[in-house]
Amino acid sequence: MPNRYPAIEKSTRFVMKKLGYEILEMERASCCPAPGVFRSFNKVDWMVAGARNLCIAEKLDADILTVCNGCFGTLQEINKHLKENEEHRDIVNEKLKLLGDYEFKGTINVRHVAEVLGYEVGPWGLEDIITRKIAARAAVHYGCHFLKPTRLREIESSEGPTIVEELIEVLGVESVRFKEQLTCCGAGGGVKAYDGKASDTIFEEKMKNINDVQPDFILDICPFCHLEYETAQDQLNKNKGCNYDYPVIHLSQLVAYCMGMDREFVGLQYQLMGKEYNFGVEEAKKEEEAA
Amino acid sequence: MTETKEDHRQFKTEEDFDKKFFKDIERRSNIWQCIQCGTCTASCESGRWTALKTRMILRKVVLGDLSVLEDPDIWLCTTCYQCYERCPRDVRPTDVIMELRNYATKRGNISPNHRAVVGYFKKFGHAVPINDEIRKRRVELGLEELPPTAFKFKEEGDDKDLIKFEEHLFDLPPLKEEKKKEEEKK
Repeated sequence: MPNRYPAIEKSTRFVMKKLGYEILEMERASCCPAPGVFRSFNKVDWMVAGARNLCIAEKLDADILTVCNGCFGTLQEINKHLKENEEHRDIVNEKLKLLGDYEFKGTINVRHVAEVLGYEVGPWGLEDIITRKIAARAAVHYGCHFLKPTRLREIESSEGPTIVEELIEVLGVESVRFKEQLTCCGAGGGVKAYDGKASDTIFEEKMKNINDVQPDFILDICPFCHLEYETAQDQLNKNKGCNYDYPVIHLSQLVAYCMGMDREFVGLQYQLMGKEYNFGVEEAKKEEEAA
Repeated sequence: MTETKEDHRQFKTEEDFDKKFFKDIERRSNIWQCIQCGTCTASCESGRWTALKTRMILRKVVLGDLSVLEDPDIWLCTTCYQCYERCPRDVRPTDVIMELRNYATKRGNISPNHRAVVGYFKKFGHAVPINDEIRKRRVELGLEELPPTAFKFKEEGDDKDLIKFEEHLFDLPPLKEEKKKEEEKK
């Protein structure tokens, strides 16, 4: 996220600060590492590298806030697994010594920003803090690793989640249902790197379904889905003669804007798609006047 | 699971077959409970468009058919966990595929693109390294030019973390093709 979508980072910092959370920097952290690719190559090393990041947060005595489904998937899963499985904890701790002064103790939790906003702050908590509303229709994309596997995540059902919908309703945004809404964006699991064509085909269908309902923007909670939605729209336009131009917005950006962050910091000017979009501010103003 | 069940399997390649590893798959994924109903294949977002047939892969594992490790299809899973969620027998197909990929990697079956991603991790500590454009944007947004990750410390001359990544993590075997060429030379 900090290396591709700094605007999402900026927005998240703004939102958490507004809500009274203190953000600590995880010095010397590394990539989570990504659950699709790195776990595929060597599961033990994947756990070791992830545990190293967890140890950094343990030293700070703070929970980890992730803004990405991939980071959440990796860190939440490793954290939970190592807390429960003593055998693996010993193996990981042994290997961690090679990387420096690290020992996994299992003292913290890993959270996702959508879950913190959706459940801990809640729509009711957000309602009091926001300074403006947006009148828009959004296609909400949950992505995969935020909710699944439900056995490990324990957030809510993966077949009919409402956590993001309920949250954005308070912001004035209507979530439009579309066909096969909860399927994958097609980029995960290392497929985008392995076989770009297969990934594009999955995405093409997804995009068709979104186009059918004509939303104002696509709302995601994961920078990797974000990347897929931005770059693959562009690819479809170039290679398949499509004409898609949907802005892609992360939940943090939307909430930050509604909490009053300046538009230049929300980062819409960096959008690859839907550059014209400006949260429909004009309409919102008119509505206010009418009310 | 039980030892008697193991006897039913017909291993097609015994050479470098790691029984322990398959035992591991069994232990973690409830694979013996598979009744081949096909819910996994039907739920598979990738399989709708590609050759990936999850049910077949599970069957091959149960039968001990090691050709599954050479099968490029195991790399088409997007890890969306739809099969994992819906399996009526509580098998965890995504975990099976992950274990298979680990094993395939050990045999050198790893695509050049994936190898590059590992290279990025070792070199920068990120699978997605920063570039000049993003540095500029970070400054424009009022953020630190570099996030305080291992890479920033490297930039400042302290690269001990990344050297340790290089030494101790994700040691990949040489590419298959390279292996073959080496053998030919001998």
